[in-house]
Amino acid sequence: MTEKITFTVDGKQLEGKQGQLLIEACEDSGIHIPRFCWHKRLDPVGMCRMCLVEIETPRGKALVPSCTTQVTDELVVETESDIVKKAQEGVLEFLLINHPLDCPICDKAGECPLQDQTMAYGPGESRFIEEKRHFEKPIPVSDIVLLDRERCILCARCTRFSDEISGDPLIEFIQRGNKTQVNTFPDEPFKSYFSGNTVQICPVGALTSTSYRFKARPWDLKKVSSTCNCCSLGCSVELNVSQNKMLRILGEDNEFTNQGWLSDKGRYNFEYLHSENRLLNIQVKEDNDFVEINIADANTTLKQKIEELQNPDVKFVIGANSTNEEYFVINKFANLMNRNEFLSKDKSNVYFADDHLFEGYFGDEYENATFEDLDKSDVIVVWAEDIKDNIPVLFLRIKKAVKNGVKLVVLGHTNTSLEGLADLYLGTEIISTNFELETSLSNVKEFQDIVEDKKVTAIVGKSTPLQQKKSLDALVSQLQKISSTKIFNCFSKANTFGALQHIDQLKGLNEFYNEYDSSKKNIIFTIGSNPVNESFFGPKVKNILQDADFVVSLDIFINETTELADLILPTTSFGEKEGTITNMEMRVMKQNKILPDPGSTLSEWEYLTSIAKSLGKDIEFGSVYEINKALVNEYQSDDIAPSFDNLNKPSNLFGVINRKDIDLNVREVDKNKVSILMVRRLYGDSSTQTNSPSISMLSTERFIELNSKTLEKYGIKSNVANLTQGPLSIFVNIRLNNLLPNDLVLAPINRRGFENLDPTKDFNLKETNNLKELSVN
Amino acid sequence: MKETLLLTKHMRENPEESHLLKSYEKNGGYKGAKKVLKSGSPELVLEEIKSSNIRGRGGAGFPTGVKWGFLAEDEERYLVINADESEPGTFKDRILLERDPHQLIEGMIITCFAANISKAFIYIRGEYAKPARRVQNAVEQAYEKGYLGKNIFGSSMDLDIVVHLGAGAYICGEETALLNSLEGRRGEPRLKPPFFPAVKGLYNKPTLVNNVETISSVPWIMNNSGKDYASLGVEGSTGTRIFSLSGHINNPGNYEIEMGSSFGEFVESLGKGVRNNKSIKAYIPGGASAPWLRGDQLEVKMTIDDVANEGSMLGSGAVVMMDEDTNLLLAAKSLVSFFAHESCGQCTPCREGTTWLENILERIASGRGRLSDIDLLLDVCDNISPGLTWPPKMTTICPLGPSATASIVSLMKDFRSEVEILLPKKVVLR
Repeated sequence: MTEKITFTVDGKQLEGKQGQLLIEACEDSGIHIPRFCWHKRLDPVGMCRMCLVEIETPRGKALVPSCTTQVTDELVVETESDIVKKAQEGVLEFLLINHPLDCPICDKAGECPLQDQTMAYGPGESRFIEEKRHFEKPIPVSDIVLLDRERCILCARCTRFSDEISGDPLIEFIQRGNKTQVNTFPDEPFKSYFSGNTVQICPVGALTSTSYRFKARPWDLKKVSSTCNCCSLGCSVELNVSQNKMLRILGEDNEFTNQGWLSDKGRYNFEYLHSENRLLNIQVKEDNDFVEINIADANTTLKQKIEELQNPDVKFVIGANSTNEEYFVINKFANLMNRNEFLSKDKSNVYFADDHLFEGYFGDEYENATFEDLDKSDVIVVWAEDIKDNIPVLFLRIKKAVKNGVKLVVLGHTNTSLEGLADLYLGTEIISTNFELETSLSNVKEFQDIVEDKKVTAIVGKSTPLQQKKSLDALVSQLQKISSTKIFNCFSKANTFGALQHIDQLKGLNEFYNEYDSSKKNIIFTIGSNPVNESFFGPKVKNILQDADFVVSLDIFINETTELADLILPTTSFGEKEGTITNMEMRVMKQNKILPDPGSTLSEWEYLTSIAKSLGKDIEFGSVYEINKALVNEYQSDDIAPSFDNLNKPSNLFGVINRKDIDLNVREVDKNKVSILMVRRLYGDSSTQTNSPSISMLSTERFIELNSKTLEKYGIKSNVANLTQGPLSIFVNIRLNNLLPNDLVLAPINRRGFENLDPTKDFNLKETNNLKELSVN
Repeated sequence: MKETLLLTKHMRENPEESHLLKSYEKNGGYKGAKKVLKSGSPELVLEEIKSSNIRGRGGAGFPTGVKWGFLAEDEERYLVINADESEPGTFKDRILLERDPHQLIEGMIITCFAANISKAFIYIRGEYAKPARRVQNAVEQAYEKGYLGKNIFGSSMDLDIVVHLGAGAYICGEETALLNSLEGRRGEPRLKPPFFPAVKGLYNKPTLVNNVETISSVPWIMNNSGKDYASLGVEGSTGTRIFSLSGHINNPGNYEIEMGSSFGEFVESLGKGVRNNKSIKAYIPGGASAPWLRGDQLEVKMTIDDVANEGSMLGSGAVVMMDEDTNLLLAAKSLVSFFAHESCGQCTPCREGTTWLENILERIASGRGRLSDIDLLLDVCDNISPGLTWPPKMTTICPLGPSATASIVSLMKDFRSEVEILLPKKVVLR
């Protein structure tokens, strides 16, 4: 495929690769051929006929679509001959005769390929005097996407995306000829985690997002490139802002990471930035009421408290959404506040808001993988939490690799959405309800056959926080023994890797709970974390926060955690701060600021340096730039430094891979019985989502999944049941999932109603009278 | 002029029961296949087919022996019979399916033997309910007798035939659209290359796609010889052909004749002349997609090459005669409407262009035409089929769109004054 060939376009000699599509080869050499249906990440269909060119064949010149023609050695191509120009004019006229030409009210106008190419290649005036084609418009194809079939030019980009890329072929062409239209199947909405991509790749204004419709004109938008922090993949995005409001997020095509795609969560989870519920002022609790104060008073209050408590224990519970620069300052600050700072390292006082933090496979014995390795390996092995829900674009990358012939092995009970792609799915046969291997993998012949002596990329992480690491160890050591293995440590939350890299020694909530000593004086900082809601340690953490002498919360909303605080410091969020983040391949990428700090919010690092100053301690940073400069010094010298200067260079816009030693200190999980498998779904009741109206309804369903045998055991025939555990009683929708083992029930974390379930305790299920589908509102 | 009955002899002589196995066998049916399977070899069959010089009867006229020779090696290969006969004016395959289904099955057995195929499909036009029923019954009878299934006629050959009904789309007669439809996808022509299903066809496996009439000719060729077949007709158009004659004719119908006589002779002798002794204004020599010939061109010989030399095609053998009273604008409109209705909608020029052409013709017919419409019609045609030549150049994946332009181009080329006279007068037709 990489054999170099030469071909001639419009009299110019060009170089290309054997087998490359003509349209792409021309593009590489700077010759733009107009097109609508062709998209470099989708299989060509040759439908719009806009990219017709003339090539010389043994039987004379022929018009061919350049998106389906491969370049061959000595091919002679005309892209601007009279016949080509006439054909392009013809195609544009055909496309426009039934197009409504409602550009003045169309969101796409100003960035519309149809508009642009009509200007460049179109006939200038219309000869069409008949009645145009009419459809009802617009029709919702899902909760967040609308379709205007009159504007549609039937390029099949959306239908191909949903079929080839995301694998939810829920929008299709119906009817034929002049009546052809895109539509959904009856009573089956376009329910996909990736539907927003179809809006982005639509070459006209046919598909629009509810969140962006009629909000702005493209020429009024201020734009900046950044990196999404909804999960640890680190999708490259473009933030679009008008009048200081974030209006839209688009995917950027980063070859190494998201390749242009985004999950709907990453794309639409931004309206919260401008929510009226946003915390804008510092508040202190006085007689159970929050009172606004200024930062000087806040610092004084905190200082007095620390002095009053006399050498208190100070602990930090941090979240995943801080930048590397912020973690760097948190680490410095935590060290200052650690009264054992001169003692040994395992007295670290920073805890990640994750129940049982996964230890990962770091260090010299393990080779860590990059996303490129997925395409280059022979086999991908997955044993981790649900990839599609937690790192959605990684699901697309796996799907793409599998489409190109890479084999897929999936273990465990959580990745049921990968089952359809897997060559080997090892579930209940060898893995128990509490995620232990019941037999040595060396005894599993199919497994051995598929991975032995192969290049393997293993995505390994805890399927559930309660899973013991030793079963994962067995997988990793077996793989290392019989194949050449690279490992992805599957931490799915946003900038977890940034936290791992910049906190001296990170622990989890299990350690937090076990190390908390109520007999002492305690001050707890929660920084961008909501452990009361997002963990099944929630009730325990709540008790601790209530017991502590003083709680300081740095956050953007009042939530289950911040409402327990004594002092709330409102912080900046995505798009309001500049910094770097580290994704799961340890690629460091830039997050940029495009919005002003709302109200009197400050960044996390600004609060911490200001508190330090008031305490007479010294963390002197005047800007993120200075922090970044200091932080870069700690990287191994032979790597490319992830400095702002470096990352802003055009050659590094896709980020730089920079591995830094990582040190965690977590204890193995006790062997537990797992009766409820708590999993994180893409959408949940996080304060960011519930405050983003366009997507807030996507997490309202209360459901559990279980297999038919378990269903039978509880005698449930309807689709609704009552789940009880101790005093707890919840009505839930039932979803059948026969890949789950007997007696294991899957339920979502982070959804109202489920927060008090204990995954290790027994539960009961009772049939209820056929209620309608339930949702929490 | 007389008919030469090879494929239609049995049905003519046994009109009541020619579709039944017992009648077919009584008249020598399946003997050829038995002989071939017992003592023949695939190479010999291919040799006979090649020497018969038979060319595909679906419309393109591709030499059948050459097509079979193209079939790529693979573990799995298929034969698909294209019985999606839907072109207005064409009704020849219908009688072969309805009245002599065993002849087709025997032809398929021999073909599959020659091409080492063990799975075959008959894709029948959805509206052909009765023919499909007859074929289905015939296939079942053949299975019962052991003529299909495992070890046919006690030989080592296996063959399964699946009868599949289309859902009513003309485009599924285009072989790659047919394969898509058979696979359960939308009936849309596939991108070329790959140019030949013989390389990459059904389920991406090498596939022979042949017309009903072509394969129904195979038993006769094997019972006699390729040479005998080649001695009929003329060079380049050997053998007989079933022509579907329709239009303003006293005696329309299907006629099996040797190729080589003229359209005029055909109309006069077998068609028993034009209705009411009128003269012919124009005629379609080979189906709705073929450019028209004029009434003064009736001496053209009915061979693939002669018709091609006149800038049209013998196509599927549908001959439609239009007498002097015919309003050719309405005739063209009727044909264009058909193609607009049958466009699959993939390619912009065909999807938008054919309906636009239909709308303009409709507007002229309702008295709202403008003089500029003639140039507009021709330019829209040119944007679907650059240069307006035949065989057509295309801005589309398949020739459906360009076919829609054939009647308009013929109308404007030879009968432009008929349209011009209408335009200023604002006449409403019919």
